[in-house]
This record gives sequence, structure tokens and C-alpha cells, in this order.
Amino acid sequence: MGLPPSMQVEESEEGRILTISVGPQHPGSGHFRLVVKVDGDIIVDADPDPGYVHRGEEKMCEYRNYIQNIPHLERPMIADSCGILYPFCLGVEEIANIPVPERAKYIRVIMAELNRCIFELYWLGIYGIFLGHSTMFMWPMGDRELLIDLAEAATGARVTHAYFVPGGVRNDLPENFKERAFRQLDYFKHRLDQYKDIFYNNPLFLDRTKGVGVLSAQDAINLGVTGPVLRASGVKHDIRKIEPYDVYDQLDFEVYSMNTGDSYARAYVPLLEMYESINIIKQALEKMPSGSVRTKLGPNPRGPAGESFKRVEAGRGELAYYLVSDGTAKPYRVKMSVPSFRQIPAMSYLLKGSKLADMPAIYWSLNYWPVEADR
Amino acid sequence: MATVQEFSFAEFVKSILWLTFWILVIFTLILLPIIFIVLFFVPAPEIAGIEMNPYLLLTMMVNPQIGAPLINLTLDQPFFKVAVFPGFTFAALFATAIIFVERKFLAKMQIRVGPYYAGREVFWWARSLEGLLQMLADLLKLLGKEVIIPAGADKPIFWAAPVVLVVASSALIAVIPAGPGWVIADIDVGLLAVFAILGFFPLTALLASWASNSKYPFIGGLRALHQMIAYEIPLILSVLGVVILSGQLNLSKIVVAQEPYWYILLLPIGAFVFFITALAELERVPFDLPEAESEIVAGWLTEYSGMSYGLIQLASYIKLYALAGLFVTLFLGGWMGPPPLAFLGPNAPSGVDMFGVELLSTQEAVGILWFVVKTFGVAVLMLLPRGINPRIRIDILLRTGWAKLIAISFINIFIALALLYLGVAGPAGPVGVISP
Amino acid sequence: MSSQGDQPEEGSQAKAEAKPEAAKPEAAKPVVQKPVEIPALEKGIIEKFTGRFGDKIKLVYAKPKRIRFNVKTEDVLDFARFLHDEVGFDQPISVAGVDYPKENIIEVVYHIGCCTKPEYTSSVFAFGLKLPRNDPKMPTLIPVYGGVEYHERETFEMLGVIFEGHPRLERLLLPEDWADIPPLRKDFSIKGR
Repeated sequence: MGLPPSMQVEESEEGRILTISVGPQHPGSGHFRLVVKVDGDIIVDADPDPGYVHRGEEKMCEYRNYIQNIPHLERPMIADSCGILYPFCLGVEEIANIPVPERAKYIRVIMAELNRCIFELYWLGIYGIFLGHSTMFMWPMGDRELLIDLAEAATGARVTHAYFVPGGVRNDLPENFKERAFRQLDYFKHRLDQYKDIFYNNPLFLDRTKGVGVLSAQDAINLGVTGPVLRASGVKHDIRKIEPYDVYDQLDFEVYSMNTGDSYARAYVPLLEMYESINIIKQALEKMPSGSVRTKLGPNPRGPAGESFKRVEAGRGELAYYLVSDGTAKPYRVKMSVPSFRQIPAMSYLLKGSKLADMPAIYWSLNYWPVEADR
Repeated sequence: MATVQEFSFAEFVKSILWLTFWILVIFTLILLPIIFIVLFFVPAPEIAGIEMNPYLLLTMMVNPQIGAPLINLTLDQPFFKVAVFPGFTFAALFATAIIFVERKFLAKMQIRVGPYYAGREVFWWARSLEGLLQMLADLLKLLGKEVIIPAGADKPIFWAAPVVLVVASSALIAVIPAGPGWVIADIDVGLLAVFAILGFFPLTALLASWASNSKYPFIGGLRALHQMIAYEIPLILSVLGVVILSGQLNLSKIVVAQEPYWYILLLPIGAFVFFITALAELERVPFDLPEAESEIVAGWLTEYSGMSYGLIQLASYIKLYALAGLFVTLFLGGWMGPPPLAFLGPNAPSGVDMFGVELLSTQEAVGILWFVVKTFGVAVLMLLPRGINPRIRIDILLRTGWAKLIAISFINIFIALALLYLGVAGPAGPVGVISP
Repeated sequence: MSSQGDQPEEGSQAKAEAKPEAAKPEAAKPVVQKPVEIPALEKGIIEKFTGRFGDKIKLVYAKPKRIRFNVKTEDVLDFARFLHDEVGFDQPISVAGVDYPKENIIEVVYHIGCCTKPEYTSSVFAFGLKLPRNDPKMPTLIPVYGGVEYHERETFEMLGVIFEGHPRLERLLLPEDWADIPPLRKDFSIKGR
């Protein structure tokens, strides 16, 4: 009795290789396809196939002026929308020579850090699903609601805030934001301690992630990965410290890195970053001056012909925008270099030779967001 | 888009009356004549000399005193034991209750509410019945869904596999004593029968996955096979200690042999190994690799939808009841326990009787009560790891099952032998050191 | 903000002239003037390159933390190797293709960052190649920077640039049945606009 005809089997010297499409219709992949060839339980080849949600963001940017680009540019990364708009605003401010008020800079830092926490909680929840741990999904999602409430109080939307504009932010924070934020952040910190105890010290979690998918520092730099993945491999590279933008140089925070480079490190570094984010938000709320939050711009702001390259540390890593302007109100070319796209080579590199059961642990620990990679 | 109908009490009463009318009409005009026509040709069954005929049912409704000895006699029938208690109906209801408790329990652990709306709007006093009717809603939903069979699937096996699973799970409960004398099959090799039946499950899982003709069930079925076979051996070995100390394979006699001490106090390691391997046999988290959602969609039951899926879930939870009952029987003293209301002295209610006819003796009633309570407790304990742990990986699972658990079970057997030779426990009770 | 350098700057001549004129209509906003000298760090990097390559490369701009050169196709592999091994910029950040139909070129710009050398980590080094629009070909830089593999593949499918030596030059993000011209070219217009 042969194999049923639905299975594509290739005879090779090593044995029978099964091609599985961990495809877009799969509870463990997102809008993304990985064509995986397995030999028994060992992955022989993993071929990433993004592009299922490609919307032509970069092309669309050329048809709209700088302000009109804001709502659709944040869609690739709805959970961390401030992070993906930040370098765009910085780039436009450089091209069109727009100054930003101090208070707006502090608010931008606060919202960017809040979005970082929001994204990393979502990421932690989905990591729980991938590992089969349902409580690790429910708790971060529940706690995320508190942070989203804060974001909604400030911007009016739960996700996709469309809050950053060239010249500052759209509107000021509400009256009692500071007290409310302090209260919720204290509770959140208490919850992070619980996560460390319950999720990260779980022996089964350690079994599943320690020593799995080890990425050395040299490989990490060469493959171009960024963000917590890079920091988990031992390279202490954080744009907030290296090339501080807005008021990061006036705030006191630490950058963590671990030198094991396995999935556990890639899962642990975001937790430490969340602690630091709480720290940063509290400092920024204390130091924030009063004043206006937005520079008044004329209609259709434009700058001279030129280019600018700005980068920012978003939740997943280094997000960079390469803006080319030709002197008109519409950008000539907008190129987004997103961290998820840069993580793709690491995916196929790490998955070769690992077990099929490790595939979710490795794939999601690389902080990959399919919609962002496709733009 | 249906409009919400306003509840009107008059309409409600009218519909109840209409329903009653039609039931009476059908019963009197259609059902009764059919029964008498059948009785004309086939003699009515006799229970203890009383010929059963349908008029007895009507008589019992107005004069329950006549019905009491009849009910007493029915309780002794094998059919009652197989179908109602401790047989299939009880197991199915227990399974349903466990599913509901699992969902609520996990929800509270995860700071959620769980099933909430089903049953809230039924009666005005049901506001606090948060989602109690959810299981009924799920059953009706599953009954109404389409069963999709993949192209190229092996149809006879595809249809038969869930049924075989339910049959095998139900066969497991035939040997478990739910009270003194309340066991369907009081056979002298009861424990051996349990292990023989447990051998059906990996085979059926593999057949189900093979018949699905698809890649993900294929991988899931192989994983299920590996897992269940690897954990059957520690399961059997962990029970050997109990067999040594009690000298019996008959489950009812094992319960009685636990009179001085429950075996969990004498053989805690065996109980622990049994519990872990039972979780692996049930494919519960952390051992739910065969249904690992994020890797292989739903494992070997990916292609099952509708009532086939419902049957597989029913089989899984009946097996949960069976293995929890087995744990209670082997290690926790089965149905033994003190009478709960003994402190009331001579006025304590004794047994269950109806109009002077004793349906259940005190010992039986207390035994059944303690069995249900203990089994429920063990089942809830089996639900607990789902909220705590992620899924285990196949190589860690196989390493644990084949190496570590077998080693621990052997240690357990040595402890049992030591206890036997030291005379602390044994088939003949505590006798002191046995001289060689 | 651009700074006026003393070195020959190709392409920023127009920028330099446009700057003072553009500054006047926006005189309402305070314009912070940066110093006109190229900072020492960037000067050191530039001197390394001009020492090695001389006339074969052209400096486009040298702002604080941002340097850009324009390189020719035949020198680009040497240039990248020098950048990676000698100078120490080792982390590829992005590969961008820009279409200039008026000048009939497609420009491919590489942005490289540095992770290891602490004095260079805040800078981003950019270099660009101008390729003819009807036959854009250039050697792939995968032997030097492994991480540009998918970026180059995307530039190929979006703009039609052929990277010689790329192990797998096929479509990545576009749908399988894409039968139109590469979409980021300026003559491809979104329907309805």
C-alpha cells in the first residue's frame, strides 16, 4: 500500500522528504508561508514565501503628500503604529526643515515606548499559542488592554493611532494622563514580575526554548537581523542609545543583551525591554515641559530636493526610512527598511537542520510580523 | 437577520399546552395501539413475576407506591447497570460535566469568564447559571454541522474510527466499580482487561489519521502512536506495585484490599507515574502533541468535522473519566470512605428508600457518593496542567517515557516488594516479616 | 540639513543652490544652521576611501553621521569588500532602488550600518550605483553582505534590476501571476490615479 496521492514525496538519497506548506491557512504562521521540507522530523529546507499581504505601500506613498501618507503608512504595523511612523516624521522634518516643540518630543517618546510594550505583549501572547500554552496567551492580552486604554485616552484609537505628524503630535495628552499612567504602569510592572516567575521559569518552556535555534553574533550581524534578536545574540546595538533621536539622550535607561543567542534569550530580552520602557515612560512623564505639541504647518508642506535616511528602534528592531524628495509636496521615493523583512534570512538559516517541533519556537522568536515585512 | 421576539407569557403558556396536547394525542392514539399490537404477538417481559405492560407506567404516575418495588427491581437489572449507572449514561454525563468544568476552571485561571451566555436568558432565576447550558448548545451545534470527508479518504475507516474510539472508551468503564456491587463486569482479570482495551487507542488513532489522506493527520497520527505506545509500558509497570500488594487483578477486590491503608500512602511513586502516564494516554496538555495546533493544525483529527469530531471528543472525555476512576480505584481506595452524616447519630439518613422500599443501602449510597467525589477531584486535577504548561516536544516526551518513567516504575516495584516482605502490607494484611 | 563641503559633490550642486532659495519662503520657522565643516569622523572615513579609490568614486554628501558615495558598477564589489573588511561597516540595513526616468537611470542605493566598531556605530554609510534604465545590471553583494539577499530580490521584482550572481532572482512579494512591468517604475501607474 503506497502513500496516499495527496502527499508530494521526493525520493532522494537521504530518504523520503515530505514537503509541507506551513501556509497562510495555518494556525501557526500568520499571513505568511513557509515551504518546509522534512525528513522524518528534521527540517531539511525551509523556504520563506512572504507576499500574501503586499499592498504596495511604497508605491502608494508617491501619490500622496506627506500628511496624507500618515494613515496608510502605519497600517503595516498596526500594533506598533507609532514605531513605524516615527522615522517617517523624522525624515520629513529633516527634509522640510520643520522644528518640533519640546513637549511633542517627550510625548512622542512616551507613545513610542507604550507602543513597544503593546507590541511585545502581543508577541508574547502569540508565542504562548505557538508553544501550546494558553495561559501565556490570555494573560498578556488581558494586560495589554490596560496599555491600549492609555493609548486610547491619548490618541483616540486603540491601535493605528495616526498620532505622529511631521511637526509633532496631533493633539495633547488628556488632563489626568500622568496619574492614570503611573497607576497602570505600576500594576503592569507587578504583572511582568509574575510573567517572569510563571512563564519564563516553567521547566517545559525552558526545555522548548533553551538551546533552540542558536544564532551567533557574527552570523547575526552578517545576516542583517536587528532588534531583540540581535541583542539576544550578544551585540548591544540599540538605536536609542547609539543615535538618539528626540529626547532619548536626556533619559536614563539601559540596554540589555544576552550572549546565548537561543530562542530563550530572544524571548527574554523583550521582557527586560518592557521593564525599561516602563522606566522611560515614567521619566518622560516627570520631565515633560508644557507648551505646544504641534508646529503649525502651511498646506502641503514640502522641502527642497534631497534625501534623508532616518532610523528608529521600533518594537521589533531598527526601522529605517529612506526618503527622496524632488521639491514637490509628494515624496519621490519612500523606502521602508523594516525589521521583519531583515529577519527573513535568519529564518531559513536557523530552521535548516532543526526539528519540526522547534519550528514555531524559532519562527516566532524572530519577531517576524508578516504584514510589516510585505508592506 | 431575525428580529428579536418579545417574550409573552401568554404565548409561552399556549405553546406548552399545545405541546402537551400533541404528546397526549400521539401517545394515546398512536403509541399505545402499536404497543398492544406488538404485545399481541410477543409476550410481555416479566420482572419477578409481574408482567410489564404499559398501563403500569400510567398507574405509577398516580400511585408511586406501586412503582417502588418495580424501580428496586430495575436497579438490579444488568441493562440498567450498562446503560445508566455506572454505565454509559453516567459516563457521558460525567464527561459533559467535566468539559464544562474544564472550560470554566481554565477561564478563571486565565482571568476570563468562560461560557457565560448560554442559559442566562432561559428562566428569570437562571441569571447565575453562567453558561450552564453551553454543553447542550455545543451538542446541538455539532449535530447540525456538515461532516466533510476529504477526497481520497478511506471512507469505511473514516466513518468507523470515531465510533471505535467511543466503543473502546466505554468498554474501559465496564470494569470500574462505582460502589460496592455496582460494577458492570466483575471479572477476575479486570486490570488486565483495562490494559488490553487501552491498546486499542494508538491503533485507532493511527487508522483515523491514515484514513484522512492528508499530511497533517499523517504526522499527527505517527506522533500519537509514538506517544501512546511509549507511555503504556510505564502505565502498566506502575500498577504492578498495586497488584503485588493486593494479590488481585479484580478491581472490586483491590478496593476492598485497601481497607487498612490506601495505596497512595504506600506507593506514592506509583501513583505519580500512573497520573503522568494517564495524562499522556489522554493526550492532554502538556502531552497534546498529536493535536499540536500551532505545528500540525489539529493532528490526527484535523479532517474530522461535525458529529465525527463530537464523537472523538466524547471518547476522549469518557476516557478521562475512566482513567480518573481507575486512579481512584487503584490508589485512592475506590468507594471507601466514612459515612458523611454519621455525626447525626442514630437519626442519620440511611440509604435511599422510596415508600419503605430500600433502593440503595447505606453502604452503597455512601460508597457511590465517595466514588463520585473522588473521581471528580482526580479529574479536575487532570485538567489543571492545561493552564500551567506549554506543550512538550516529541524527543523530550520519548526520552521521558522510555527511560525515566520506566526507571521510576521499577523503583516503585522494589518498594512494593520491600513492603510485602517486611509484612507491612500484602494480600494477607499486615503479618510481620515473612521468613523466607 | 546639508552642509556645504569643499570636496566636489555631484548631485548636491542642485541641492546647494536650492537650499538658500528654499530657506527664504520658510523664513518664518527658525532654521538652525549646522557648521559647514565636515566633522572629523566623516572626514577620516572619506579620506580612507579617496585614498584607496581616488577618482573612481564620487562623494555625494557628508552630513554628520551620514555619508554617501556614488560608485561605478565595475568597482562596486571591491568597494563593498573594502567597506566591510577595512573600514568596518558590517550590517546591511537596506537596499533601495529609485527610478529616475528623466535622466534615464535607475539608482540602487545601499545603506550599511556598523555594529562592532563603537566609533562608527551611529553612522550610516550609503553608496549608490547609477544603472542605465533599459538594461540595469549589477553584481550581487551577497558574498560581502549576506543579509542583502532578500532586499536585492525585492529590488529585482519591483524595479527590474538584475543582480548577477544572485542565487535566486525571482518574485518575492508580488503575486504569482504578475504580468505587468515592475511596479515601482514611474511609468507604472496605480489604476485610478
